[in-house]
Order: sequence, then C-alpha cells, then structure tokens
Amino acid sequence: MLKFIIKRVLMVIPVMIGVSIIVFSLMRVFSPDPAPIVLGQHATQEAITTWRMANGLDKPVVVQYLTYLWGALQGDLGVSYFSKASVAKEIGARFPATIELAIAAIIFASIFGILLGVVAAVKKNSIFDAAGSLIALVGVSIPIFWLGILLIMFFSGFLHLLPSGGRINVLLEPARVTGFYMVDAVIAGDWAALKDALLHLVLPSLALGMYSMAIITRMTRSSMLESLGQEYVRTARAKGLREIKVVGKHALRNSLIPVTTVIGLQFGALLGGALLTESVFSWPGIGKFTVDSILKSDFPVVQGIVLLVALIFVTVNLVADLVYAYLDPRIKYASKKEG
Amino acid sequence: MKKTVLLLMLTLTVALAAGLLAGCGGTSETTATTAATSDTTVAPGESTTTAAEAAAADTFTYAQGADPRGLDPALVDDGESAKIIVNVYEGLLKYADDSTAVEPSLAESWEISDDGLSYTFKLRQGVKFHDGTDFNAEAVKFNIDRQLPPQVTPDMGYAGFVFGSVKDVVVDDDYTVTINLTQKNTAFLANLAMCLAAPIVSPKALTDGNNSVMEAPVGTGPYKFVKWSKGENVVLERNDDYWGEKAKTKNVIFRFISDNSARVLALNNDEVDMIDGIDATVVNQITQGGDKLFQAEGMNVNYMAYNTTTEMFKDQAARVAFSQAINREELVTSLYQGYSDMAETILPTFVPGYDATVKQVAYDVEKAKAGLAAAGITKVHMITYTNPRPYNAATGVALATAIQGYLQKVGVECTIDTFDWTTYKEKVKAGDYDICFYGWIGDNGDPDNFMNLLADPDPSMNVARWQDETYIADIKTALAIPNGAERDAKYGEMEKYVAERAIWLPISHAQSLAGYRAEVSGFIYHVTGTVFLSKAVVAK
Repeated sequence: MLKFIIKRVLMVIPVMIGVSIIVFSLMRVFSPDPAPIVLGQHATQEAITTWRMANGLDKPVVVQYLTYLWGALQGDLGVSYFSKASVAKEIGARFPATIELAIAAIIFASIFGILLGVVAAVKKNSIFDAAGSLIALVGVSIPIFWLGILLIMFFSGFLHLLPSGGRINVLLEPARVTGFYMVDAVIAGDWAALKDALLHLVLPSLALGMYSMAIITRMTRSSMLESLGQEYVRTARAKGLREIKVVGKHALRNSLIPVTTVIGLQFGALLGGALLTESVFSWPGIGKFTVDSILKSDFPVVQGIVLLVALIFVTVNLVADLVYAYLDPRIKYASKKEG
Repeated sequence: MKKTVLLLMLTLTVALAAGLLAGCGGTSETTATTAATSDTTVAPGESTTTAAEAAAADTFTYAQGADPRGLDPALVDDGESAKIIVNVYEGLLKYADDSTAVEPSLAESWEISDDGLSYTFKLRQGVKFHDGTDFNAEAVKFNIDRQLPPQVTPDMGYAGFVFGSVKDVVVDDDYTVTINLTQKNTAFLANLAMCLAAPIVSPKALTDGNNSVMEAPVGTGPYKFVKWSKGENVVLERNDDYWGEKAKTKNVIFRFISDNSARVLALNNDEVDMIDGIDATVVNQITQGGDKLFQAEGMNVNYMAYNTTTEMFKDQAARVAFSQAINREELVTSLYQGYSDMAETILPTFVPGYDATVKQVAYDVEKAKAGLAAAGITKVHMITYTNPRPYNAATGVALATAIQGYLQKVGVECTIDTFDWTTYKEKVKAGDYDICFYGWIGDNGDPDNFMNLLADPDPSMNVARWQDETYIADIKTALAIPNGAERDAKYGEMEKYVAERAIWLPISHAQSLAGYRAEVSGFIYHVTGTVFLSKAVVAK
C-alpha cells in the first residue's frame, strides 16, 4: 500500500511539469502581448519595450520558462502584471472562497445524487425512478447561470429568504485566519457570522452542485442496478437479510466505487470550473479571476492558477484511488501483491 | 426511510419547479412592461440631497462590475480604480461638479507666469494625510517627481500624459510650490484635476510601501481606506479629520458584482444602494423594482473614420458623399435606444470649446448617390470590432452593419471584416481598410484631449491617418492659449474645419447610466465617470 502511494505521488511530478509547459506555451502563443494592455492607451513604444525587458518577455521562451520553473520550485510564482501583488497572495486571497463553495456543492451533490440514484435503482421503473431521471436530466441540461438567476429571483428577490450574492455581509466579516469564513467564524466564536456565511452559501452551492448531482445520480443508479443483479445480493437475500441491509450494506457499498471516482472528478471540475456560478453570485473565487487574467494576458497569474488547479486535480484523483482501495479489498490486495 | 426519501425528493422537485415558475413569470413581466424613465432621471452633477439626511443610514453600498486594478493613482488606468481613488485622495485641483472646468482643491490658488511656463500654487494649510503626516509643498514635489524621469517607471500609464510637459518642481516654501513646464500647455491645469496620476499620495506611505500604495492607499480625501477583500469589496470610513465638509455617511462599501443581472437584482433587493456598469437592457428592471435611473451625457465620442491615405477617400468629395448616405439620427435612435446622444461635434457638450453651431455633413440620399457615382465608388472595405465598447454599447459590428445597410440603398457594397478588440487594434494599426470604427474616452476634460487625436502622428491614435499642416499648427496654437473665450473659439473653428472635410463621421456620445435606490441622495456622478460619495446619504 505504501509503495502504491509513493508511486502515485511520484507520478505527480511529470504531470505538473507537463501542465506547466503546456500553459506556459499556450499563453505565449495565443495570448496577445500583455505590454499594451498593462500600459494603457497612452503607452509609447519605448515604454512598451522597457516594460517587456523589465518583465523578461524579451528573452527566448525557453529561458523564460526555465526562469519561471526555477522560481516556482522555490515557491515564487511571480507577480501579477496588473495588481503588482504576488501571484501566491492573489490566489491565496481568492482560493478559500472557491474551495468553500466547491466543498458545499459536492456535499449537496453527493448526498442528493446518491440518494436519488439509490431510490431510482431500488424502485426501478416506478414513479420514483422517473422522477429521479427527470431531476438528473434537468440537472445536466439546465445552464448554471440561468439556474443561478432563477434561484436568486425566487429565494432572494421574491421570498427575501436568502442573499443574492457575495460570501458574507461585509459588516459581519470575521477576522481572517484561514480565509474560510465558516472556519474563521467558528474560531472567532461569532455565530451570527457563521449563520450569515451559511446563508450566503446555500444558493451558489445549489446552482453549482446541480450538474454534479445529476451525474452522480445517473452513475449511482446504473451502478446500483448492476450490483442488485449480482449473485451476492441474491445470496444476501437468500440468507434472509432485511432489504435495507441488502441494499445499504451489500449493493450500495459495492456500487460506490465508480461513484467515488465520479465524485472525485466532479470535485476537481468544481474547483476549476465555477466561473459561471462565481459570476452570477458575485462569489469572490478564482473562476472569474482566471478568465479576467486570461483576457488581460496576465501570464504569471494564469500559470499560477492552472498549476494549482492541476495539483488539486491530481491530489483529488490520488485520494479517490485510495478511497477505492478502502472500498474494494481486491484493489488493496492487488497493490499489496504488486509490492 | 422511504418516507424520508420521498419527502426529500418532493421538496427538491417543488423547489426546482417553483424556481422555474418564478423565473418564467419574472421574464415575461419584464418584457411586457415599458416603464417611462424620464421622470426618474437627474442631470449630471445635480445635487440630489433631500431633507431625509436627518435619519440616514451609516453605510452606503456601491456595486461596480470588478475589483479596482489597484489604489495607487500613479499605477492604474481603469475606471473601477478611479471611483474609489476620488473618494480617498485629492489633487491640487478638482473639476466643477457639473463640468470639466477646474476649481481649487488642495491648492487654494495659482498663478501662471507671463511666458506660460511656470505655474505657482498656493497650497491649503492644515491638511493632513490619513496617516497623520502633513500635506505640504514637499509632498507635491515627491508625488510629481516619482512620475518624472529618472524615477518614472513604464507601468505609470498616465505619468507621461499628465506630467509629460513638466520640467521640474520647485518648493518655494512649505505651502508654495512652482511647477515649471518645458512648453506651453494650457491642458496642464485640467490634468491636475484628473483622478489618475494627479491625486496626491502620502510620501510616508509611498516610502513605507516601496513606492507603491496599490493595496494601502493613504490620501487626504473625505474617506479613508479600511480594507480590501479581493473579489468582494473595498471598505472606506469617514475621515473625521477632513479639512473640508465632512462626509455625510460613516461607511462606504464598494462591492464587486460582475454579472449585470445580479447587480440589478442586488439593487432591487436593497442589498446595495447604487450600481453602475448597466446598459439599456436592464433599465426597465431597475425602474420596475422601485429604483431610480441616473442618466447623463458621457465624456466620450463614438465615430466612423475614413482612411484618408487610400485612393478612394483621399478625395474630400468622396468622403462627403459617403457621409451623406447615412441617416445618423435614425441610426443612433435605433441602435442605442435613447441611451446615446447623436454627436454633431467631436467634443461632448460640457467640454470647454464645444460649439453648438458645428454641423456634420447632412443626410441626403440624392446628393450621396450623385457624389458616389462621380467618385466611382461601388465597393468599400470596412473593418470593425465585435465587442461592446464604453462609447458603443451596441458593438462595432452592429454599427458597421447598419451603415452597410444605408450604403446598399445608394448602390455601394460594403464588405465588413470583424475582429475582437485586441486583434482589431492591431488591424487598425496595420491600416488595411477604407473605413474603420473607433471611439475615444476623454481623460482630462480638456478639448485638446479629443481634438489632438486628428493631429497625432501615431496611426493607432489617428485612425483616419490624416495629416493636415494647417490643423496640426492650429492644435499647437490652441494648446498654448490660456483658458477662456479665445481658446474655446479656436476649438470651435477647428471642429468646423474637420467637419467640412468629413475626416470622421461622429456618431454618438454614450450616456453614463447608473441605478440607485429611491432613498439615496447627494451623490455626484461626475461627467468624467467617477462618483463622489462624500455627500451621499441613504434615508432610513
């Protein structure tokens, strides 16, 4: 098991180098020159040349890349061309918001997705199955920004139950310790702030998690149907086990292996792909920041964010594999044998 | 278990269905009603203060579309930064509330030497920066020197524009400072009132911050900086030691809501008090939600330019004939739905030098047909941009297509190549076009800032590529004439000179639009696009 983990961890290195080369090259090939964008409408050619030299953009791309890599290995991701703040600081200021939202969304998606999937499989071809399929279909089809606007209009504009956007009422903002408002609110013992942060989280996590919930529902349903048809389920029933135990312990646990992978991948996608939700709910995460930075050719910021998201993707996959090993003893056995 | 599952499923389904229904209802309502907006508008700079100030809220929340780029006036060039900067900092001079005429601010008075090259400012005494240090002549020198060679850096985008004509700065005494110029430049005074480069920053804060106060601004303004949560908000609080009239509302929060609809919903939901960055599509939503619309002429011009270096449009008669084919009044009304004013002049009406007697080539189909036939024009190559621009909300494509339609009626076929804005600027620079579409957002409210474009040797600024000796000489003369009637008249003459030659076809001046709650009063939405909030109040 240990060797399995070490092997997987070591694989992260070539993946990260590959990602850094790709993003570095793409930005330089396809993005417009940042100098005129940074320097504005009054920039002279001389100022543009000086600025490019000051930022190393006059050097060959390979030299630029190696300089960047050397810096990145030492934890220096560079400085934003626009805000002049360090990239790590810029990302650090926004990333907790994205993680908080992604966690809330994946919790919502997993709970409801698995629940709907199980019910649909157990009550196959019933009204519950049809309802589950319908919700899954709607979840996959509905555009996030539209769902977001509908949720705001109904819960915020009409019912006045929930705030329309933002992470917290600025006057309740707890002292920043971790950047996760819920954690910070708990540390500060400020329950009003915690409640406010939670209320702000409801609509964006619902909108963001809807697609993932639909995917998880479908995966759970098909996986459960397969498991329910297996002989060990028949055996369990033959032994006289109660149906809830057959479904919950035998069928569900085995069905969860592919579902776990999907949840892992969805979580990764939620971290990198919350642009529309962040935009509609004014959620101060990295999704919108990434797009803005791409449009402005802010190379250091885009590179930093892509590397971070790639690292998270790889880590989440690794964790999913480990959970796999826990859920399916055969995987653990195989890896042991390999070692 | 079964019951719980059933309950959960039902709840979810009901919630979703309710959301869908609410959405449909809301949409149809929006399209069905057309509320009049004229009764809720106010003129630029008009004070909106009411008697409600007595019971005012202690927080004013303003929502804009994005974070500021930063809060060091020397290092930024964007409008989102400017709106916060003008409430935290002040310059030596400021603009009048309703125009771009300059008035005293941190400088109480000024004198210009006879040769027009030395400007001596008497500074206001007893003014302190938010960090407790004194504002004085040394602070002025420190701020200008950092934007002059050898200290200036290439990322100080407005340093060259604002201080490019400065030779040096001399401290005469603690509260008198003289700025010497290398050449006569009347626009220099307008530059000193600008919200970029010109505002005075605490020298101590700049020294402590390694010559940058991007994230920790320290000025002398009515509000002082509290904090900036990136992507979320900037919080300001009243400067109780302010030298002038203290701000009326204790806290000002700038919230960043990137999505247009979400910003309007936040206003309708009373979560914010004022919003900007809106367009015509959400005006009904604002007024139907019980909120008000602010609508005023903006400091910009949206125009079509002939490439005067091509064989076709070298000829003045050809340019005039082409312009005669276009019904600008109809075009502006249909494209901008009343949120842009048709432009007869390059200068907006509130800029000194505006002359109401200037008229562009009039719409006349018959003359256009005859003129185009005489010039032998049957095909024209246009290039345009796909994005909406601050001076053209309808996009360059919509504008070009409309003009293509008018020309079709007089038998001229226009081909249009479209590009995203960044690529477009490169194409304009390359010069492969007969006609292009462009615009200008004024910087300092001085007429030279607009009119100089047509004398600029750089083809990416002077997109008509027009180089006329007489006009270039006039531009130089006008820049040296002191502010006043003589200078204004000169710019009027130059407008007529350009209009007669049909170098550009000015299309429109886009209006500034903002939404605010009915309880809000006192804000000054300036013609330069910045918003002064020290007199703003929200009645409880």
